[in-house]
Amino acid sequence: MTIHGLWVISKAGGLVFSRSYSDVLPPQPVNTILTLAGILHGIHAITAKLTPTPIPGVTAGGLESFEAEGWGGKVFLTPTGTKFVVLHSLPQSGLDDLMKRIYEIYSDAVMKNPFHTPEMPINSALFETKLQTLMSGVNA
Amino acid sequence: MTIYSLYIFDRHCEPVYYQDWHRTRPVRAPPPTSFKPGVHRLPPSQPTDTSTAANGNVRESIFSDNRTSLISNGTTNSNNQKMSLPKGLPFDEEAKLVYGVILSLRNMVKKLSGRDEAFTSYSTSSYKLHLFETPTNYKFILLSDPSSDSLRFVLRQLYVGPFLEYVIRNPLVKVDSRVEGVDNDQFRSAVDRHMKGLSMFN
Repeated sequence: MTIHGLWVISKAGGLVFSRSYSDVLPPQPVNTILTLAGILHGIHAITAKLTPTPIPGVTAGGLESFEAEGWGGKVFLTPTGTKFVVLHSLPQSGLDDLMKRIYEIYSDAVMKNPFHTPEMPINSALFETKLQTLMSGVNA
Repeated sequence: MTIYSLYIFDRHCEPVYYQDWHRTRPVRAPPPTSFKPGVHRLPPSQPTDTSTAANGNVRESIFSDNRTSLISNGTTNSNNQKMSLPKGLPFDEEAKLVYGVILSLRNMVKKLSGRDEAFTSYSTSSYKLHLFETPTNYKFILLSDPSSDSLRFVLRQLYVGPFLEYVIRNPLVKVDSRVEGVDNDQFRSAVDRHMKGLSMFN
């Protein structure tokens, strides 16, 4: 499995972080990714509405993963509404663990940073180097 | 494994066929103003409030549910009503949502991969949606439970089997019509038979 990229989307639907970790998918301008992240945020809400067998009293979950012909995406929603989107190659395995580790790194390097403003773009060298180590371990 | 529903859209973004099997939240029939024949066989929507029905031709209002619960239970909150009776969307609105989602995802996948690549499926915690697109831009969409493998082969089988046989080769079906779907008895029963013969149906 190769990780192609990672996005972090804030609870309002804004893109706060995006990195590419392979050159399989063509590089995109930041504006395009910004738009796509917004679209994904909307899709997430609609997919929850289309649930064919909702359980009464339980809120239906939205989009969790999507697949194209050679690659896919996995969406991880944290309890606070932040979304992590990982673009990966198919077939995939161990993505859930990877998501948890990304979330861990995010909590350590971003949320515990007193100079970070929530809902604003992430500018943290620590976050980036930690992610880079994690991704190069997976992509190797 | 379970199969929930099947949608077919034509190249004008219009739903032309719908069938469902195991939905616990059934879709409601659309209001008469946006009814399109030959797409689904949902029973026409009944006014839920009997007192309203007695008054004659009163259009069902979006408040009618709450009003019923208020009349019958006094100060009961509407939350309770929602929990006991999950209400579906009208068919026309649901079809628009389904089409909107697959169109947005398809554009996103196309943009991200930089070439004409189709998105094949997405899944949530409670269902999985499979998409099969024909060269003539018919979109076959199947909703199943989230644990199932790719069911695109089933959609392909439906296309080369019942759809070609009973829709394309049927001179009575108005293909490419914006005012009418492709529903007919043979097609519906062939689809039903095909789905019920699958190992993942149930």
